[in-house]
Amino acid sequence: MMSSAPTAGDNGTARDRIPRIDVYGFERPDGFDYKFYEDFQSRYLVVLSRRAIKWSKLLQKSTAVEKSIKVKRYIRKGIPNEHRCHVWMLVSGAQARMEKNPGYYHSVLVEGKKNAKLVDAVVTDLNRTFPDNVKFRRNASQCLQPTLHNVLVAYGHHNSSVGYCQGMNFITGYLILVTKDEEKAFWLLDALLGHILPDYYSPAMIGLKVDQEVLGDLVKLKIPAVADLMEKHGVMWTLVVSRWFICLFIDILPVETVLRIWDCLFYEGSKIIFRVALTLIKQYQAFILEAQNFPDVCDKFKEITKGQLVTECHHFMQKIFVDPGSLSRTTIIKLRDKHRTQLLAQE
Amino acid sequence: MSRKKSQKSKGSSSPASCGVPATKENGKVGTDCHSNGMVMSGRPSLSNSGEFYDIAFKVMLVGDSGVGKTCLLVRFKDGAFLAGSFISTVGIDFRIWDTAGQERFRSVTHAYYRDAHALLLLYDVTNKTSFDNIQAWLTEIHEYAHKDVVIMLLGNKVDSTHERAVKMEDGERLAKEYGVPFMETSAKSGLNVELAFMAIAKELKHRSMKLPNEPKFKLHDYVKKEVKGSGCCKS
Repeated sequence: MMSSAPTAGDNGTARDRIPRIDVYGFERPDGFDYKFYEDFQSRYLVVLSRRAIKWSKLLQKSTAVEKSIKVKRYIRKGIPNEHRCHVWMLVSGAQARMEKNPGYYHSVLVEGKKNAKLVDAVVTDLNRTFPDNVKFRRNASQCLQPTLHNVLVAYGHHNSSVGYCQGMNFITGYLILVTKDEEKAFWLLDALLGHILPDYYSPAMIGLKVDQEVLGDLVKLKIPAVADLMEKHGVMWTLVVSRWFICLFIDILPVETVLRIWDCLFYEGSKIIFRVALTLIKQYQAFILEAQNFPDVCDKFKEITKGQLVTECHHFMQKIFVDPGSLSRTTIIKLRDKHRTQLLAQE
Repeated sequence: MSRKKSQKSKGSSSPASCGVPATKENGKVGTDCHSNGMVMSGRPSLSNSGEFYDIAFKVMLVGDSGVGKTCLLVRFKDGAFLAGSFISTVGIDFRIWDTAGQERFRSVTHAYYRDAHALLLLYDVTNKTSFDNIQAWLTEIHEYAHKDVVIMLLGNKVDSTHERAVKMEDGERLAKEYGVPFMETSAKSGLNVELAFMAIAKELKHRSMKLPNEPKFKLHDYVKKEVKGSGCCKS
């Protein structure tokens, strides 16, 4: 991703200049827009180098990442990749929990490995986690599959009411790619699932069902024409957004964009997910409204996660704090409470 | 730069819309499925690039995680089997109606059973647990699916080099018990994959047309006549 920007007038095409595999090890998909990506990258590198200088200065101070307006602003503008692990660990409380519990990770890993059912569920998905990433391939020189296996097994034992839920494999995979450290990946996974996100992954998946309904309400409020369209064609929100929530946009949005979203997720909490979803829907409102039928609606929702808007991660991240308008914590809490009560009553 | 390869989907409970584009798709439409402008392509793509659908049947693939639902679907759709290229299905992939098979996802996806016309219920012949769970799946199906839903039981991965854990007779016995047609399949070799989808398509077409002069289509008989054993097709 951080490959040097080519200068204008270079021979060859963008396709020849951009590496086929990105810095995280992912192969670029078929139909990847190399030309636009190169163009974006040359602009984004300027942003990245400016942010890198600012962050270096900030991190020289000891109070660096305590909660403040300044830190929030810095995080919204993106954490440089080299500081990402460190900052995520600090702002999410993962660092503190790791330091408070020395040896804990190792002990839950040992115990988890004795749970055949858990290990089985994890193993089923190992080969199916990022087959398009060279670092996760079974034959890779330093294959990350054993690391992924360990973190998932340890977590499944640590949080036995959740155990292993599909989707956690992808999230953990990203955490490993960013931290390059098994134990840190574990504590960040714990921060996300145990502290930041609602109960998306528990056996009843109530948190997921609630948030899908909350999104439905927010769309009704902020983008009513789309809400009407969904109702008209009988498209349940779960059909188009369950993966957005469960995978935290992995494999839905570009890698860099996902990481920028996660920067804010670790610092500001799960509200960010709604901001991203609402921004996508609002930006593409006219496009979505072209849908004539049920499958059309589904296709549109797939289309809107691709293209230039989401590739331009820096602009996109600015948009998510403007486009959806105000989204207070109180509103989210109220809506979540309402739907949780309704859903539990239905069960 | 979404990394998603469009043909890739995730291996778990996979509802395939037995989409019915009025135009033929990939030149591979079962000729016996045309009638009155309604073409039943068994191709499970929902609506790629604005194809026109007169009528679409919703066919879902269900079964335990990892039994090969997505592979079966892709084999049918694209005629391809790419070892190691699939990623686990999370939630629902609506392009090919692919959903997660892990037990907890059922509570999220069973809403879709309601308007499914057919369900292909899969187990993995090398995984006894996936076979033992078939009864639980059937209970789930009977609770949430339409009562007229067409069900077919498939024992997948007969090509596998892993030791077989479920005998063909066990599959046959269970299918008989529940009165559903059964066959063994291999997404890898392609054995009976086309047949499974086309048999479902034929059944659905006959049901929806209700042609008075045509003899009733008998799904069970058709399957029995057409099914191939795993022995003859091993490569």
